[in-house]
Amino acid sequence: MTAVLATAGLFVLTGATFLLPLIPAFVEFHFKRDAQALNVIQQYAGDIRHFSFGFRSYAADLLGPLKECVASAGTASGTLPHGDRYLLLGRPDTAQLLSPGNSEKTCDLIIAAGTELTLPDGITFAKEMYASRNLIGGENCTYRAILADAGIRLRRASKVIRWAHAAEDIHAEQDCDLYGRVSSDRKITLESGCFFQRLHAPHISFGPASLSALPNAAPRVGASAEPFSISVAAGRRLVDEDLEIPAGEIVRSSIVTRGSLRIGAGAQILGSVKSNHHMAIDSGAVIAGSLISATTMHIGANCQITGPVIAEQEMTIESGSRFGTAEKSTTVSAPVIEVAEGVQAFGTIWARYEGYVVTRK
Amino acid sequence: MIYCLFAIVAVISLYTARHYWFTLNRLFGFQRHPYIDTDTADWPQVTILVAAHNEEKVISHILAALMGVNYPPEKMLVVPVNDRSTDRTREIIDRFCEDHPGRIRPFHRSAGKGGKAAALKDAMELVDTEVILIFDADYIPGTGLIKQLVAPFFDPEVGGVMGRVVPLNVGTNLLTRLLDLERSGGYQVDQQARMNLRLVPQHGGTVAGVRLSALREIGGWNDNSLTEDTDLTYRLLLHGWKTVYQNRSECYEEVPETWHVRVKQIMRWAKGHNQALASYGLHLLFGRHRATLRERIDGFLLLGVYIMAPVTLLGWLLALGVFYEGIAPLHGVIALLSITAYSAVGNFAAFFEIAAAARLDYTRQRICLLPFLILGFGVSIFSVSRAFISQLMAPLTGAQFHWDKTERFRTTP
Repeated sequence: MTAVLATAGLFVLTGATFLLPLIPAFVEFHFKRDAQALNVIQQYAGDIRHFSFGFRSYAADLLGPLKECVASAGTASGTLPHGDRYLLLGRPDTAQLLSPGNSEKTCDLIIAAGTELTLPDGITFAKEMYASRNLIGGENCTYRAILADAGIRLRRASKVIRWAHAAEDIHAEQDCDLYGRVSSDRKITLESGCFFQRLHAPHISFGPASLSALPNAAPRVGASAEPFSISVAAGRRLVDEDLEIPAGEIVRSSIVTRGSLRIGAGAQILGSVKSNHHMAIDSGAVIAGSLISATTMHIGANCQITGPVIAEQEMTIESGSRFGTAEKSTTVSAPVIEVAEGVQAFGTIWARYEGYVVTRK
Repeated sequence: MIYCLFAIVAVISLYTARHYWFTLNRLFGFQRHPYIDTDTADWPQVTILVAAHNEEKVISHILAALMGVNYPPEKMLVVPVNDRSTDRTREIIDRFCEDHPGRIRPFHRSAGKGGKAAALKDAMELVDTEVILIFDADYIPGTGLIKQLVAPFFDPEVGGVMGRVVPLNVGTNLLTRLLDLERSGGYQVDQQARMNLRLVPQHGGTVAGVRLSALREIGGWNDNSLTEDTDLTYRLLLHGWKTVYQNRSECYEEVPETWHVRVKQIMRWAKGHNQALASYGLHLLFGRHRATLRERIDGFLLLGVYIMAPVTLLGWLLALGVFYEGIAPLHGVIALLSITAYSAVGNFAAFFEIAAAARLDYTRQRICLLPFLILGFGVSIFSVSRAFISQLMAPLTGAQFHWDKTERFRTTP
């Protein structure tokens, strides 16, 4: 009997020893601490204004008191339910932005302005800012986020850390850094030296207004032809090596190359173009479809591209080139984008890591 | 016998190395998502096919979800492919048609060959758009999913696109939790690594898309295939079209909740995969076509994944045979080293992959269930081997391939 018990005990002990490492598994299976479906955000549509919408609803309670401040040309302050302190400006008075003795020039209040507001230089706004009228920043200011129901002008060397959205124009002067999302319902203009990541507007312009008009160097191809946003209706041409399309050539199909691709000056492609290596588009080329490079892409001056433009590594764009049209907006996307002054785009420009506006000498 | 065993160990080692390569790439390599930032475009016309065979439990969910997406309504047509349903599927679809005039055009099929591929093939008479998206009826697409799946088609090299499948009914029982882990490893690591490394991401036949001109070039849907998605992947590849995987284009699905349904599902997958291996394997490796060398190798290994189950079983039997035969090269040292190395590294590879996937998904506790996966693998290895044997025996027994629809478990109407 003792031997039987000992044997049984040994089996139980051995079994228990083997089961010991499984204790976390049994615990998780029983208590279901992490048994929810992965959080796939079903309602998120990738809208660039996502955060501005969120802030608008967060600050909705401020709009009523702000109107009262505007009516009385006064100011008010208080604390939102989540603990954020706010300042309502019913008149263009910026004296209260900084508490007395604040030598670091940091404003840690949510600001809501009901009138046109011009900010002093060098202030850091650590919380979001709302302006129902035009907002004109100061030089060297830093903003966490800005929502404006009119326009925004960011003076030289300002920074936006998270996002900015304006119902009217956004204009960033030289050397501004625009991290995160910047969107406008009308137009965004970035001057030289600006850093950007994600821009979205019906019209995006780089450089001073004098460069905004597109030169007529690039004639529209086949004005009577239907541009192909999806190109294969015209068939596609597969090329296993490098390809160079001569200047002035008209290609009536899509092109896919395994090697690098050069499109000569003034060439016109009625379909889409894909290169698995470097792609170079010489000046004045016109692409009716999309332009995709698996590595790097250089787009010369005064090119016109209707469809999406994607480079998996770097993209450089020379002055006068134009992406999309006012009627057919598009996306220009690459991890790194260098844009010369004088470029125009309609839709989205998305530099996942960094985008720069440069002046060509 | 010993050389046969060595060969099997070598093949298993190859797959082990592949698992590690994929996992390390996902953890430390450059991640390719080239099309995901395309959020503004002149979006093309798209037809969305929803394959439905007796789907009264789920069909209303996907139709409602599709009516709520942010794709321009005038450029999107939903075609529920009602394949010989005998339940209320037709009635539910017709009700949606009335509620959303012009946006849904049903294809009711009451006769013809069985199977999803055959139904899709017949439904093509309603399709005239260059981009076609395909969903199974148990999927629930999110608001932005259609644009994400269409965006890769702006690339003229892309013939097919595949999104990520995310189980919705995770917490139901042990099986659903294990399938959640397996799906996570398969998509978050395997598929995305293949995308990163420019290998062969697999078309999954749902949460997926195909270009009409590419489909026509390859001869349309193959209604003799049990896995039309695998078949499509390889025919696209052989004709110079790329299939791309979009890891951030996630869509909920319902996974099987009973082992019986799971076994039937994986047996169908195995048979279909093996069909594709027989049809395209050698041509992919050695034929004249446009696939690159790395695509040829990876594509062949991908075709072979379901063959590995019977091969592993054979390896176990051979190992026993070798032991009882007293065959012990180098006095058993090689056997000892092999077992130790495989237990420590090789056997762990698939688990490592799933653990990495859980980490990439920022999930914490579910990783504790990893040891239970041995149960799922055990069931799979025998089911897949059974499928393989029945396939081998089919010419002798006269058995016909037939389509086993995956049962649904959702209870809300």
